[in-house]
Amino acid sequence: MKKHIANHIYHVEILPPKQDSEKLDADLQAFAEKYQRVLDSGYCICLTDNAMGHLSFQGTEMIQELGLSVKPDQVMIHLNTFHTKANLDDILQACIGQGIRDLLVVTGDGSDRLPKLEPADIGASGVESVTSVELLRYIGQTYPGAFNLGVAFNPYEPEDHEFAKLDRKIAAGAMFVITQPVIARNAVVDKLLATCPLPVALEAWMSKKLHLLSQAVGYEIPESTVFDPIETLRLLHRTYPQCGMYLSLLGFKTQYHLITDTWVS
Amino acid sequence: MRLNPAVARGAFRNVWVVAEVLSGHIQPVTHELVGAARALADVRGSEVWAIVLGSGVAGQTGGLIACGCDAVIVVDDPAFAAFNDEAAARTLVQLIDKYRPESVLCGATTCGRALIPRVAVLADCGLTADCTGLAIDPDNGDLLQTRPAFGGNIMATIRCSNHRPQLATVRPRVMKALDADPRRTGRVIREPLTPDPSDALKRVIEVFHSTETAVNLGDASFIISGGRGLKGPEGFNLLRQLASRVGGAVGASRAAVDAGWIPYAHQVGQTGQTVQSKVYMACAISGQIQHLVGMQSCDLIIALDKNPDTPMMQIADIAIVGDLFEILPELIRQIPAT
Amino acid sequence: MRIVVCIKQVPATNDASIDPETKRIVREGVKAILNPFDTYAVEEGVLLRERFGGEVVVLSMGPPKAEAVLREAVSQGADRAILLSHRAFGGSDTWATSYALACAIRKLGGADLVICGKQAVDGDTAQVGPGIAAHLGWPQATHVMQVRSATPETLVAVRMHEDGYDVCELTLPAVITVVKDINSPRVPTLRGRLASQKMEIPVWTPEMIGADTAKIGLDGSPTRVVKTEPPPPRNKASRRITGSPDVCAAELLHELRTRSLV
Repeated sequence: MKKHIANHIYHVEILPPKQDSEKLDADLQAFAEKYQRVLDSGYCICLTDNAMGHLSFQGTEMIQELGLSVKPDQVMIHLNTFHTKANLDDILQACIGQGIRDLLVVTGDGSDRLPKLEPADIGASGVESVTSVELLRYIGQTYPGAFNLGVAFNPYEPEDHEFAKLDRKIAAGAMFVITQPVIARNAVVDKLLATCPLPVALEAWMSKKLHLLSQAVGYEIPESTVFDPIETLRLLHRTYPQCGMYLSLLGFKTQYHLITDTWVS
Repeated sequence: MRLNPAVARGAFRNVWVVAEVLSGHIQPVTHELVGAARALADVRGSEVWAIVLGSGVAGQTGGLIACGCDAVIVVDDPAFAAFNDEAAARTLVQLIDKYRPESVLCGATTCGRALIPRVAVLADCGLTADCTGLAIDPDNGDLLQTRPAFGGNIMATIRCSNHRPQLATVRPRVMKALDADPRRTGRVIREPLTPDPSDALKRVIEVFHSTETAVNLGDASFIISGGRGLKGPEGFNLLRQLASRVGGAVGASRAAVDAGWIPYAHQVGQTGQTVQSKVYMACAISGQIQHLVGMQSCDLIIALDKNPDTPMMQIADIAIVGDLFEILPELIRQIPAT
Repeated sequence: MRIVVCIKQVPATNDASIDPETKRIVREGVKAILNPFDTYAVEEGVLLRERFGGEVVVLSMGPPKAEAVLREAVSQGADRAILLSHRAFGGSDTWATSYALACAIRKLGGADLVICGKQAVDGDTAQVGPGIAAHLGWPQATHVMQVRSATPETLVAVRMHEDGYDVCELTLPAVITVVKDINSPRVPTLRGRLASQKMEIPVWTPEMIGADTAKIGLDGSPTRVVKTEPPPPRNKASRRITGSPDVCAAELLHELRTRSLV
């Protein structure tokens, strides 16, 4: 993450196609095009893991089946706690095989169709369910040195609770932090940057869909708000020059060409 | 069976209730159904019969008669010591054939929902599951069976005009039992189990009933339920703490169960349990119809949500607008530990 | 071992309303999915085949587009799929549906085991599984939460009950219906999904399965929906509490104490 920030390498989120897609072939092609474009730009591709609990294909199998190439430091995989143990290890092994080192480890969103790791599956004790903390510890112990492990931070949750959680994540092996969407200077983010020893990337919300953003940040943003994602991104760079930027819901047709000169020092 | 010139509608009479027997004891749902059957039979000027298939149950008929039965058929046989779908279905079909009831009600329990569909096929008659309302056409005896459909978004009314008897299952705690009247009298009819070679095809080899394993939402008087807004399994710890202060039980919405935050046994709603507690406190449960149908007959509904406009906040008797992560700890603090 | 898994395509959500003009149910543009409980049935079939060999055949009755869920089951590990689809099947209730599925299972040459999901989430009746068992004259076990052991001739099933469980030994052939506790269904791989898209799915008609047309479709269904209406509203004058957390908590406690509920 430090290297990404120093070299102005954006993190660009791409969602693998959903399992229940009714136009899978088109989705696969669109995915491959986006992937290649981000790779060619020198940015880091971030592949979600069943985002929002929607059953989707895994990033590692997309790379495998579509024959996509992986460059060091340019692919990050999200990994959540909704897997079977066997499936979890398959994904981690595939990452190692494909040369993927960056993992964003999150508790994640479940659905009735997604299995959930049990504490016993990964040798966790004294907890009722597996969260990102237990998963981090498992990955660190089972695959020592194989991965750069990142964690999420939500500045909109009750603050004490969230910082305490971050401390547990750091103790479990977290090496970088990515926040929930930030749209302006935020006191909790300021505190995070002042106290957290790890490099931090901010999520920059690139969509104009404010109701989704409201859901993500957990408070209601009035629909009448004027929200310009590109301007907001510039503002975030000015406000938080020490941070990386994680671009979610980036419009490849409408926005991609606009971000080439947004990160200036 | 299908009605035809040889099998006349008028040949079928009375409302039957198939008793729910667990570990040799008749369960409360049976009395609730007898209450519902009584109302239907009174419209038709007919009788209420209970059918008890069990082992060592012969002494329990008095309670059924006191609650409104005119007659009780008892098949007391060791084969019914455990739940035996095939023998029970076969026996019911034989009894139906012999006595020809107009309607047959059964609890929509795991046993009832396994047994009655089998009876429906073998006796060639219609079945409506999970009825929440039952009425009867006074002229022809057609049962008007109302049940939630599409997750409770729609109430459908169903008739089986061309078949008799008409079968219906009803959730526990939906109908009301009548007060027992020990002066009521009724007949007790003993019937034997007819053995069949197919009995060898299934054996129940172990039975485990426990009040420990059950999440006894049905009997709880105070239920604290959580939904997606709990944000994770840790959120339920707050609910558990509050539940232990008020002597309550913890429930959950389907979203929280599906997310893997709490086991299915806690689920309230159409695909979970129906509850009828004195207090139902819904924490960050938006209140989809599928959830509401499982709890809306609770006496006092309290909703706690950041969003004041959810369906749950609309139907609640007391709606608290606020963050559960702030209010619940405060509530726990203010209730003295016992 | 031949295992037949019966599956159903259902709407992804239960959002439905009634058109005030036509009184018909409106459910425009709702996506169709594999009934969630059936996913567990498919997985259990695949697990048993992995132990005993043989094949998993997935069977569904529905409109032509229902083949999508059969393909999904194939990508989850089923070996082949059959769709019962014909106008004459339309309007079938659970009695007629279980009859048609039983006919198709006979036409297949029988099975050692039939597995269904506990219930379909659109109808929530849980009647088709036991119905198939009754039509075939086979033993059944519903709400199965664990297959404790199995041989090619017998299966020991743990059935979930409200307050515990029981265990029964079934002589095959038999029908079981499964609950979510029974397994963790594997998520289809992209490779499996792509392969399933190419599979031929035969479509069987009532004639092909030797079904008595008087026992299928609307005519073969004893039940009739005679009325649909919105659920009764529960609108009451409710008390709103707002304010700081300690005030909210105190006011709620006051309300509860007034009613002697704490």
